[in-house]
Amino acid sequence: MTIKGNTKKLLKLNIFGEDHILQKFIAVSGLLVLLVYFSVSTNNFFTPRNFLTIGLQTTTIAFMGIGVTFAIITGGIDLSIGSVVALTGVTAGLLVKAGAPVWLAFIAALLAGLACGIINGLLITKIKLPPFIATLGMMMVARGIALQITDAKPVSGLPDAFGRLGNGTLFEIRNSAGDLQFVGIPYPVIIMIATALLFSFILTKTKIGRYTYSIGSNEEASRLSGINVNFVKIISYSICGSMSGLAGIIIMSRLVTAQPNAGVAYELDAIASAVIGGTSLMGGIGTISGTMIGAFIIGILRNGLNMQGVSSFVQQIIIGIVIIVAVGFDQLRNRKV
Amino acid sequence: MPEKLLLEIKGVSKFFPGVRALDNVSFDLRKGEVHALCGENGAGKSTLMKIISGLYKADEGEIIYKGEPVAFNDSKESSSAGISIIYQELNLIPHLTVAQNIFINREPLSGFGIIVDEKKMRQDAVEILDRLNVKINPDAEVRTLPVSKQQMVEIAKALSTKSEILIMDEPTSALTENEIEELFKVISSLKNEGVGIIYISHRLEELKHIVDRISVFRDGQYISTDKFSDVTLPQIVNKMVGRDLKNQFPVRKSKPTGKKIFEVKNLNRPGKIENINFDLYEGEILGFSGLMGAGRTETARAIFGADTDVTGEVILGGKVLNIKNPREAIQNGIAYLPEDRKREGLAVNMLLFENITLANLAEVSKSFGVISRKAENQVSEKYIKDLSIKTSSDSQIVKNLSGGNQQKTVISKWLFKKSNVLIFDEPTRGIDVGAKYEIYKLLDELALNGIGIIIISSELPEILGLTDRVVVMCSGKVANILKTRETTQEQILNYAAGISSNNDN
Repeated sequence: MTIKGNTKKLLKLNIFGEDHILQKFIAVSGLLVLLVYFSVSTNNFFTPRNFLTIGLQTTTIAFMGIGVTFAIITGGIDLSIGSVVALTGVTAGLLVKAGAPVWLAFIAALLAGLACGIINGLLITKIKLPPFIATLGMMMVARGIALQITDAKPVSGLPDAFGRLGNGTLFEIRNSAGDLQFVGIPYPVIIMIATALLFSFILTKTKIGRYTYSIGSNEEASRLSGINVNFVKIISYSICGSMSGLAGIIIMSRLVTAQPNAGVAYELDAIASAVIGGTSLMGGIGTISGTMIGAFIIGILRNGLNMQGVSSFVQQIIIGIVIIVAVGFDQLRNRKV
Repeated sequence: MPEKLLLEIKGVSKFFPGVRALDNVSFDLRKGEVHALCGENGAGKSTLMKIISGLYKADEGEIIYKGEPVAFNDSKESSSAGISIIYQELNLIPHLTVAQNIFINREPLSGFGIIVDEKKMRQDAVEILDRLNVKINPDAEVRTLPVSKQQMVEIAKALSTKSEILIMDEPTSALTENEIEELFKVISSLKNEGVGIIYISHRLEELKHIVDRISVFRDGQYISTDKFSDVTLPQIVNKMVGRDLKNQFPVRKSKPTGKKIFEVKNLNRPGKIENINFDLYEGEILGFSGLMGAGRTETARAIFGADTDVTGEVILGGKVLNIKNPREAIQNGIAYLPEDRKREGLAVNMLLFENITLANLAEVSKSFGVISRKAENQVSEKYIKDLSIKTSSDSQIVKNLSGGNQQKTVISKWLFKKSNVLIFDEPTRGIDVGAKYEIYKLLDELALNGIGIIIISSELPEILGLTDRVVVMCSGKVANILKTRETTQEQILNYAAGISSNNDN
């Protein structure tokens, strides 16, 4: 009797033990279902050109999602992402307006994002603010600064060079007559792939990545294992701030305009992509590949629904339901067996 | 003397897989008496209390309450029948008032039975507190009260259900001497009201103030019941221990040399430990013995830099260390295996190998902090083999391992982080005998290699079978440091229970 009972328990535990793989499987299946559905039901969906469009549209969510994945794995959250997007974008725009070279302005904008992340990290580790509160404050402060320094007006009239990062492509192919054969891969897509690979490597193969997981899984055990918990957390929020900065640069570069009102509520897209991809809001669990899948689920949904002419209101409803279903899995997963 | 039997336990047994937690035990309780139940850890005291309150079902035997056989299904049933338990950990809600806590889930209602009658609740609370003869403001939030008053609120809560039997599990472990006196006054007045009290305590010394009869359990078996006035404390201790050491321990190959490698001077942490002094020699295994709350774990944490409000000196290899956090302790070669593995030892959602290498990732990393999975695999396979950790692979999620194997995982972590001083807090708790033997052998080898080993253990046989000297702690102080070979379980327990003190020698 008892042996039978134990075996049953073990089996149950094992299924739940491998649950993050299950979760990812569900996410990947969801992605494939969406691809098949839109390919069958929508003309022009299954074309290289549209795929590049989807890729380009997804980059923003992906950048922010990769960053917030770090914060969430430590057991935290970052609500300031959208505001940091705006602040870094207008920083770049204003610097270029003031005569700085574009590359320097972009680096300065990245550093502004990094600074926001470091401040978030310091507030959370040194002043012991709950991440929700610290980043809620930063959300308001960063937005306020972005509006103040631009007088709440878009920074426009930027040089073409400002738009090159967001609109340029690599491997453009023209035939001998000079006609465009292949538009090339947009720079943002290349950067997205590169950053996803880089941060996935950091998270899975390096000490700092291992510590990120262990802090989210058990902060006290990590501290007693000699891990510098505060340092690792500050790094995580710095990565999140920097990636928000990168998203800000790319968005403004694509528009060739720096909008202080850009990025409102983008943090929610970012968090959604992480959660759909299997990152647990309880901390300790999550992957970059999962977040990328989550970002593409949102990207493909928006693209496909747009092509079908579904109104943006209905899109909101559908994406909302997808998030609820995904978080529902997160909760089921954390339920005690 | 009141003679009416309130409760009678007859031949009760309880089996868990592979363990006989209770073996044909008997116990009874009269109206208006305090009956102490004593025994070492694992004697079966808590199991019996859980059977009485209905949390467990007895596999054999019967429970007769007020002349009728009973078998409660849960603690709600037993408490409405008049049996209340006050557990060692307080179960109050900090932000509610005293009155709200006393009547939680049983609030008097008015207004069609949906509105809490705060006024009546307050009056009833005052009544109960008066009966207990304690001065507590029923409107005070519980978190503002000192622990002793909180304990009183727990008792008031238990009494508000019109208890006829009150079970107290280590009620004094969090109290100061004055507070204990206050508690004893309450116990006396409850006795006069005819309440029967089962009193579980490790602090034998305090029993004489209140106890009428005393029963001893050992290893799940009933040993004795005596009128308290008929027995001496040493006799009780003898009954509690009464077990001889067989071949549970390897023959020690290491032995202390004359070289002092580690020293702790005047270690203090307000309210926890006071003036702790001891030293450790090369090749020595030093034991720490004491009751729950005696300050052993706090001493270890203080050395390790886990708490901040610590003063005193820690000297390793002649060098005074200024340790501010666990990281610095580890860097200086001090390792601490915590007592509570789930809360402080393991990242249970992570994999086995990840937990083993967590404190020493540098050792398995290449440049730029890139971890070598291959190196990690070799390390974890080694410890899985050495400590015979039962797992499907080194990539198993730790929460899927059994408790004993989880403990071996934490031990592996600290064995892999090679240290000069190892402090192991209850290292063999929940581990089977074979694995214990393996761990003892490993510790002996480490000692042979010149590593100083400190073992905090509540199992006296372990202290006696493994250590060279034993530091006995009582109430946050070092009661005495004894040479293991020249001491006995009784002597250690006497010091730990505060019956003997250093001045007696």
